Amino acid sequence: METNNHSIETKNLSLWYGDFQALMDVSVNIPSGKITALIGPSGCGKTTLLRCFNRVNERYGNVTTKGEIKILGKNIYDPDVSLLELRKTVGMVFQRPNPLPISVYENILFGLRIHSPFGSLTRNQADEIVEEALTSVFLWDDLKDKLKARATSLQLEQQQKLCIARLLPLKPQIILMDEPCSALDAKGTLAVEELMGILAGKYTFLIVTHNMAQARRVSTECIYMFLGELIEHRETQALFETPEHPKTADYVQMRYG
Amino acid sequence: MNRSELIIQIIALATLTIACVLVWVVTTEVFHVEGEILSVPMGIDSGSDLIDRLYSMIPLLCVAMLLSIAFAFYIEEWLSETTWYYRIINQQISILANIPSLIYGILVICIFLFQVKEFLNFTLVLAIVFLVVPVIIRTTQSAIRGVDLSVREAAYALGANRWQVITDHVFPRAFPKITGGIFTVISRVLAIAALLIIVCELRTSIIQDVSSYEISSDVFVLISLALLSCVLSSFLQINRNS
Repeated sequence: METNNHSIETKNLSLWYGDFQALMDVSVNIPSGKITALIGPSGCGKTTLLRCFNRVNERYGNVTTKGEIKILGKNIYDPDVSLLELRKTVGMVFQRPNPLPISVYENILFGLRIHSPFGSLTRNQADEIVEEALTSVFLWDDLKDKLKARATSLQLEQQQKLCIARLLPLKPQIILMDEPCSALDAKGTLAVEELMGILAGKYTFLIVTHNMAQARRVSTECIYMFLGELIEHRETQALFETPEHPKTADYVQMRYG
Repeated sequence: MNRSELIIQIIALATLTIACVLVWVVTTEVFHVEGEILSVPMGIDSGSDLIDRLYSMIPLLCVAMLLSIAFAFYIEEWLSETTWYYRIINQQISILANIPSLIYGILVICIFLFQVKEFLNFTLVLAIVFLVVPVIIRTTQSAIRGVDLSVREAAYALGANRWQVITDHVFPRAFPKITGGIFTVISRVLAIAALLIIVCELRTSIIQDVSSYEISSDVFVLISLALLSCVLSSFLQINRNS
């Protein structure tokens, strides 16, 4: 496999929270334009790994990282990397929908506003961008009359879609999702999964999930982690049907976890 | 409570005590050299003189409030919660903020009544700083902490830097509660001012040997303003959902 097919590459990545080692020598290549799922029991480091990729981990302090993370071929721990640019390229969707408590319209523009000089966005451009972003997550018809409404007043499903939509104006390459559906009902989950299916190809998705059925439904590749170690990384179908590692087998056949 | 917390508490209390003793020594001993006690009028003969002086303290009050708010943002946003100095500062602010304002009032009266004119302003400044700063810092801190973590996470993940997160999200969200804290402080200051005026007038009437004393209308105005700002502050500090 050539390297340019991989959006994210890590080499011997280890991470400590204080004395506790949360990731042990994780080396992984995430393919571009596909959906990759991270599965494993709670506390195995899935979310930690995910959060490494846009360096939001650092905010919690007391974190030590060793090893290499390359995003689109660039090591993100190089001193010349700007966090701003990194987070523009690598968007993140959280477990609980967390739209900013401002209007729907401003939510979508917020990312763009902080990344462009003040006043450089004309009213027409802004309107277009909002429409485009909302259309690509299929919210435009529902929300076109509610653009001024507070984003926190929407239904959860719409909020989560909005959280995806507000990443799009920044033209990210990679979208990280930390259990994006755990707060949604079956219908909302289905809608978000469909959306991911449609957006995959344009963006690289990396999704953490506890729901194995979901991992099977949406992802093309799947990574199983256990206690900070990467146990197995294969195509989803292969991982679920013929797991190589006994620990993976235990987990995917629900004997453990 | 574990051992390190106990040590932090003891250090906080000890440093505070030392600071207080120093202030006390400075105000009573050093300045006492030129002071004459009681019988000499001390530059303030009536409540209205005092009110004028209090008015002149308003700019100071505003500056103290703004600096306290800025300091609260600094310790909440820039200092890490695990460091020992954060914990000590936090503890000290906690202790100071919980001291009933009446204690400051009594201290002020004691220093106030027995000191000469030149140091009056100094005493007032000191009292105002002690009355205002800890409470404002405390309420601002809790207002900042009250801002939902998810809001910060969302903004940071979109690439906002610390300043953008603070100015665009944390401050607007925390603003009502910060104003609430300001009104709490205003009511504290007004109440102490009312008390000072009563003491001043009583003292004047004793010196002039007047047989009856009537509480002036200023006092009632101050007290009703204090009550009003209490109501405003509790109104502003009610938890609202985003």
